[in-house]
Amino acid sequence: MNLTQAFKMAFKSIWSKKMRSLLTMLGIIIGIAAVMIIVSVITGANKKQMEYYESMGTNKIQVTATLDNGGDAFSEVYTYCKSIDMVLGVTPSGTVSGTVKYGAKNSASMEWPPSVYLGSDQYALCNNFQIERGRDISAVDIEKYNAVCVLGARAAKDFFDAADPVGKSISIDGTAFTVVGVYREKDPNPQYSLDNLIVIPYTAQRYLPASAGDMSEFVVKAKDAPSVSKVIALLNGNFGSWSQLGKGDFWCYSDQQWQNDSNQQALMMSLMLGAIAGISLLVGGIGIMNIMLVTVTERTREIGIRRAIGAERRSIVVQFLIEAGMICGIGGIIGIAVGFVGTAVASRIIVQTVMLPSPAITLFAFLFSVALGVLFGMFPAIKASKLQPVAALRAE
Amino acid sequence: MLIRLSHIYKIYGEGLESEVRALDGVSLSIDRGEFVAIAGASGSGKSTMMNVLGCLDIPTYGDYWLDGENVLEMTDRQLSHIRNKQIGFIFQGYNLIPELTALENVELPLIYQGIGPSRRAKIAREALEWVGLGGRGGHKPAEMSGGQQQRVAIARAIATRPPIIMADEPTGALDSKTGQEVLAFLRQLNREGSTIILITHDNGIAATARRIVRVSDGKIVEDRLQEVDWL
Repeated sequence: MNLTQAFKMAFKSIWSKKMRSLLTMLGIIIGIAAVMIIVSVITGANKKQMEYYESMGTNKIQVTATLDNGGDAFSEVYTYCKSIDMVLGVTPSGTVSGTVKYGAKNSASMEWPPSVYLGSDQYALCNNFQIERGRDISAVDIEKYNAVCVLGARAAKDFFDAADPVGKSISIDGTAFTVVGVYREKDPNPQYSLDNLIVIPYTAQRYLPASAGDMSEFVVKAKDAPSVSKVIALLNGNFGSWSQLGKGDFWCYSDQQWQNDSNQQALMMSLMLGAIAGISLLVGGIGIMNIMLVTVTERTREIGIRRAIGAERRSIVVQFLIEAGMICGIGGIIGIAVGFVGTAVASRIIVQTVMLPSPAITLFAFLFSVALGVLFGMFPAIKASKLQPVAALRAE
Repeated sequence: MLIRLSHIYKIYGEGLESEVRALDGVSLSIDRGEFVAIAGASGSGKSTMMNVLGCLDIPTYGDYWLDGENVLEMTDRQLSHIRNKQIGFIFQGYNLIPELTALENVELPLIYQGIGPSRRAKIAREALEWVGLGGRGGHKPAEMSGGQQQRVAIARAIATRPPIIMADEPTGALDSKTGQEVLAFLRQLNREGSTIILITHDNGIAATARRIVRVSDGKIVEDRLQEVDWL
């Protein structure tokens, strides 16, 4: 007997008992859908989190350093870091408080006012910004105390709407700064956005009231993930003794550990919830076995007839296995459909983005449900094939 | 010799006081082209004999040669092939599969031979035409009369063109007129060269066969040839 025929026969048998087949499939449908939704939403949420970290810039080391004598801590760290080839860039990352004005626009009256950062010519490199228009802050700007600034995409939109800000002059705490460039948009969040910033050369803070700038926070960007901890060790080795020596304070950390932790948590979470959903699949599988056993009993006479007219044991096993596999396969497909809709809805609610399950999890879900059917169909199928033709024919 | 049974025993509950000898040392030979009726009252062992002859059941002791091969030494798979290719069964209760149409029922033994769909359908249609049901291939058994169902069963039995046709009380569930029609098909098959083994408790039915083997208490009590009017 060929397989196409066996599939047709199995489908016919399932179709002739639609209600029962559907109820049997229900366990599989719910199980598959639950596993898909849980795994997809958790991995999706985690991926979004990772993308956010990515957009803020990777391999970053946050440094907080002050010298008690009021000396220039940044210069010390900057000079030292230049000697380490694992470091790609160093920039201050402190903010300036003060009102930003352009024409009638005033940051004091904005719901989400921009942050003004003191930066070096490596600010964009360290924080993963790219120039969209104009130019970035240059080493010359730093050296010459130029009163220039670069706008984040959001700040540019808030102050200039659609107009080109390059060449225009804005006022920061009463001092005029010429806009030389605009960064490309990377975080379209309508409320708090990474793009809502203005960067000025850190040396230009001399035009601002002395209390305005915070030069105690820097970012050091390492060249790759493995370098991060090595650079931290070097920094701590060189500056960590400041407080002991009564010289000042030095502290640095990286959010790489955070990222790893949040990855780990997402994995644990999806494993745990996935296991719970997996139990419902197991229960579904036992339901399949139960129904297949009932089917074998009901169809003893049919098995007898088939055996009498020449069906081998193997054909009977194949027939029942395909039937069980097909019930689960169809259940799996319905479950996948439910899973897709469920994932879209759940992700819309939980992470405010519509996500869909990955092809890998979809394929896995389908193969798993078929395997479940074959596994739980095995015992009833073998039982069916063991029936003696004469005994099976006598059954009523 | 097509069929040779030698000292066949079928014993249930062997060794117990309650042991039942459904077949008690039966020896029987049937030649190619014979029309044999195995007659006996209910409980005489004739059904067990049919099951053994049809390779549906395995005797406790004895030897069974079918076309020169020892059936008792065959594997389950070989027995399946024998049932599929050598023997066509016609049962009292028709034994059609209710979910399948008449045509699909007739195709079933051909499916197990691995014959492709178009050739299979052609053979099955021819078999249904032969029993006079050419136009009813799409009907399910429940939509047909008893006589029609039995004719579908005959079509199924002959679809693989087996040398042996075994009919177990084929008229038992039918009225006498449709019963006679079924017997007429068996006679026709015999004329065309098939070996027919007819199991019945009814002497009137048995009278259609050229040879009567009478069974009682698991033993053959009579084996004779008789004159028939249809040859």
